[in-house]
Amino acid sequence: MTPSSSNVQETMLTIRLLEDRLQEMALQGRGADWHFNKGQEAISVGVCAALRDTDYVATHHRSIAHAVAKGVPLRPLLKELLTGRAGEMHMNFPEQRFMFSWQLVGTCIPVAAGMAWAVKDYLKTDDIIVVFHGDAATANGQWHEGMNLAAVQQLPILFVCENNHIAGNVRPEHYQPVATVSERVVGYGIETALVDGNDVELVQAAAERIVEWVRKEQRPYFLECDTTRLGRHKQGMGDLRSKEEMKTLALRDPLRNIMVAPERWAAIQEEIDGIIDEMEVS
Amino acid sequence: MTTTQTQARPFVRNRLIRDSISRATYDAMKCDPSIYLFGEGCEPKLHYDAPYILEEFPNRVTTLPISEDGNVNFCVGASLLGLKPVYDAISADFLYRAMDSICNTAAKLGFVRGQEPTIVIRAEFLTGGPTTGQRPEALFTHIPGLRVAVPSTPRDAYGLMRTALETPGVTLLFEDREIQDGEFEEDDLYLGEPVHFGDASIRRYGERGGPLVLTYGVMRQVVERALEGFERPRVIDLRSLYPIDWKRLDWCMSRHFQVLIVEPDIPYGGIGAEIVAQLAERFPATQFRRLGAKRETVSANPVAHAGLLPTQEAILDALIF
Repeated sequence: MTPSSSNVQETMLTIRLLEDRLQEMALQGRGADWHFNKGQEAISVGVCAALRDTDYVATHHRSIAHAVAKGVPLRPLLKELLTGRAGEMHMNFPEQRFMFSWQLVGTCIPVAAGMAWAVKDYLKTDDIIVVFHGDAATANGQWHEGMNLAAVQQLPILFVCENNHIAGNVRPEHYQPVATVSERVVGYGIETALVDGNDVELVQAAAERIVEWVRKEQRPYFLECDTTRLGRHKQGMGDLRSKEEMKTLALRDPLRNIMVAPERWAAIQEEIDGIIDEMEVS
Repeated sequence: MTTTQTQARPFVRNRLIRDSISRATYDAMKCDPSIYLFGEGCEPKLHYDAPYILEEFPNRVTTLPISEDGNVNFCVGASLLGLKPVYDAISADFLYRAMDSICNTAAKLGFVRGQEPTIVIRAEFLTGGPTTGQRPEALFTHIPGLRVAVPSTPRDAYGLMRTALETPGVTLLFEDREIQDGEFEEDDLYLGEPVHFGDASIRRYGERGGPLVLTYGVMRQVVERALEGFERPRVIDLRSLYPIDWKRLDWCMSRHFQVLIVEPDIPYGGIGAEIVAQLAERFPATQFRRLGAKRETVSANPVAHAGLLPTQEAILDALIF
């Protein structure tokens, strides 16, 4: 089930606790080279809270948050992460309309455009496609080709840019010649909005308005979410950012003010640990 | 007179194979409402090639921009929601622009999803020059998740296209512009039967103990021209380059001890090399020879371009083991 506005905070917490546990395993050599969303959870959760269950989501390699936010239950998600052959970067859960994480940067954009075309011109429903990508993807040709296809074909697709201002350990001056990603989008005639991606209420409010607009207008829209990646790019790669910089970024942690009852907190942790322990034993 | 004109005007195209692929597409579209056509200049191209498709299915044909890689990814996305896209890349050379989406996206879907999509990517071997006359088919046979076919007759082109659209999988179907329309036998022109991937075609039965000639694409015609009047060689048109019809080839190995492979592509690292390697492991007493295109950049000069391929004389010379 897609989270409602009343449980977005619990969903964000679930993602954080799940990824913390997985990180612990990865650092002990019991996991994969996962990419975590720490600091960016408000975007996937806020946007998915504005969707219908029948809307589709496609995403990039940093995919765990999007799967949880789209309502993928923890058990099949963990089964794929821990034992599946597709892994975090190629997983799909069609029942929840989570239509793949696409590992190669930029690929998800034209693929999502194709899905949106199929929804509009083949299935002929009013479901929409949401595709998440990072700021660094906007330097890739696939991002541009996909934006162009979506604009030319006038497709019901919401592009959500998780702009964390970093690509692995590479700073934007190496891949982005303009101050905001939205400036690039203007050339495609696609409307844009910029929101604080670390404030889940703001993200959800913007997404609710835009999702309905896309559904009604049957045209693409671009939502740029300014955010912070509070962890390393992936578990096998160091982080060149200084402790001071990380401290400053952490002031914007989307979970810093969440209100989740301690018993719910404990219950979520228990559920995650229970499933992982069971899978590790078997 | 007509023949002379055709030779003097390289832009006068052979079209029977293309027509049969269009006809197969049309017949399949009539049976299956989930088949949609996409491509650069897709509508204008159909206007000339198969206006009946545009007339009958105007909403199932979509013209895409010149963005090959994005276009294939777009088709992959559409396939995820139940469509069977046919992507017309126009030129085989343009597939290099889409290597990522073909090899990294489309080819992997069956594995990561546990269910093969049905996607057909069709392209033509042109006769233009350095980047408009290449034959990249062998590259794709290396990638798990793809099947590759180069039909040499209208009948096979029709049959392979029908199969590509009726059985799940990602297919690269190549159209060889150099195959001459005027040289088909009556049976080659019959359209209607499916041709399965991994099913080679015996063109001449030959004699037991005679040489076995394996070929495909335009070289099939050249081989048949060269061998006119010779009884002994058995000739097989591979048609499907992945999968290869190993069953039939292995069967032939008990009857033929000399194998000549004549391919239109560069032999280095090519289809013939793979066939020789595998057959030599299983049948070490067999003698093998290979003929193929020179490993050169394709010239824009028509004479130089034509000179890349093995000649009839070279084929006859190679048959004297």
